[in-house]
Amino acid sequence: MLEARAVMVFYENMLALNNVNITCPDDGVIGVFGANSAGKSTLMYALSGIILDIQHKERMRGGERITLFGEVVHDGEDITKLKAHQRARRGLVLCPERRRLFPESSVAENLSIGGHLATRAEAKETFDFVMDLFPALKKLTRRAAGFLSGGEQQMVAIGRALMAQPKLLLLDEPLLGLAPSIQHTVVESIPHIRNEREISVIVTEQYARPVIPYVDYAYIVENGSTVMEGTREELLGNPDIKAAYFGCG
Amino acid sequence: MFYDILVYGFIQSAALILMAFGFSLVYGVSRLPNFAHGAIYVFTGFIAWALFNTVGLPYWLSVLLSILASGGIGVLIYYVILRRVRGMEVSEVIATYAIGLVFLEGLRYAGFRGGTYTLPVASDGVSFIFDVPVDHQRVLLMILGFAMVALIWLLTKYTRMGRALKGMAQDERAAMMLGIDSDATAAVAVALGSMLAGVAALIIFPLGSLVVEEGYKVLIYAIAVCVVGGLGSWAGTVIAAFVLGYSQYMTVAYGKPHFQMVVMLLAIIATLIVRPSGFFGKQKQLEERV
Ligand SMILES: Nc1ncnc2c1ncn2[C@@H]1O[C@H](COP(=O)(O)OP(=O)(O)O)[C@@H](O)[C@H]1O
Ligand SMILES: [Mg+2]
Repeated sequence: MLEARAVMVFYENMLALNNVNITCPDDGVIGVFGANSAGKSTLMYALSGIILDIQHKERMRGGERITLFGEVVHDGEDITKLKAHQRARRGLVLCPERRRLFPESSVAENLSIGGHLATRAEAKETFDFVMDLFPALKKLTRRAAGFLSGGEQQMVAIGRALMAQPKLLLLDEPLLGLAPSIQHTVVESIPHIRNEREISVIVTEQYARPVIPYVDYAYIVENGSTVMEGTREELLGNPDIKAAYFGCG
Repeated sequence: MFYDILVYGFIQSAALILMAFGFSLVYGVSRLPNFAHGAIYVFTGFIAWALFNTVGLPYWLSVLLSILASGGIGVLIYYVILRRVRGMEVSEVIATYAIGLVFLEGLRYAGFRGGTYTLPVASDGVSFIFDVPVDHQRVLLMILGFAMVALIWLLTKYTRMGRALKGMAQDERAAMMLGIDSDATAAVAVALGSMLAGVAALIIFPLGSLVVEEGYKVLIYAIAVCVVGGLGSWAGTVIAAFVLGYSQYMTVAYGKPHFQMVVMLLAIIATLIVRPSGFFGKQKQLEERV
């Protein structure tokens, strides 16, 4: 189980996350929805520990001051001070916004670099799982990742994150910029990941509509605060929320 | 004359690859410009000299231990100093240059000056390549120059640590998300870079004598190769080593060996004016695509 307790993030004096509380139970799929700039990525960085690296780099180059409050608790342990690679070792793996593949490496090499924490057997088994999950990648394993389409890149990014043997996968805007047909392939993978790998998932999106069928519980973020939360049914049953975030369907 | 230039230009190019490759590797992985590179080169030479002459170990063991020592020095430098300044661009240059000064001027202060210190060659024999006589030390230099590149390439392809280096070199933060420890990987890169400098020293020094000033020369040569080739690009490093190696040898072939350094400095300046990202760096191109 992962919990964010009263997490606050300031970029200089700008409050990007304001007292955010989030819980992701084992085996759950949690949605975080909010408009552009709502603070979704900042939340993912806070959960994955990347925020500590951003803070450190900014401090080193004399850039902006980033201030953090609150706690991140994983399986009962306070991991607020743990670096991203240490959190990854605990099974907390972020698949970042805009994918950030290793552009010069082939698809296969992206996956094998992703398997840094995996044993040889785990890496092989997960590689096969990823190829079954996204059969479109089978023909592309030798292609440089920088030359793939957006949808293909997203599949590789999810596959690469899975190679790290996560227990909780953080997916930051996996559908950003993808054509609707590809969006479908990508979200379809979420229940497979949860059911076949027993991995819980936190997924953020700007538009909830394509993702909401796959989540158990979701949070709506506005200007850095959670303004609403509930089970899928509760959110779908609320007319205001429905109009604002689910593209009144 | 033509075959002379062909063969000795090739040897000079291989020497430049040896001198520059470690610098390129460290920069590529950790984005640290290691201005102590030339000092580590010289220092490794003196360690081998001391182990062989002062301690009296067999030469092969002195070579092995001095290369391991250079790796150890690299790790130490990273954890004690570089880790604290990494990301502060000006401090990176000042700190690494200062480390280099400490090593080189320390050696000079300890009395290691002049041309009286030498390392033995591996063999006295001579081979003929295209009818051009080449001594065996230079043959070894050619072989090892490329063997080192091949070795590191295999390392990045087939080992976990090597793949971590490759991931870090392309996107440090993405690597962290996958559980790769940035500091440990950067330390490995600095250690490997230092060991490459050490290997270069132990092959190249026997051709002349061990002098402290070589440290500054090697640093400038390494920077020239990396700037022309595009910092952090391996293919660029190798191609630039050939372009500059042959240009340098031309100055020797036409009787103006003292222009060797001029060639390198002009190459740095010309590259920075015409194409600051280097002539063969592909990173830029890919970045623009994404
Ligand atoms: N490194 C940064 N420095 C300053 N402001 C930032 C930085 N990253 C994000 N922000 C700001 O924080 C707010 C939240 O951004 P972000 O978390 O990226 O939102 P989202 O992912 O929901 O689009 C935005 O107003 C954004 O401009
Ligand atoms: Mg975002």
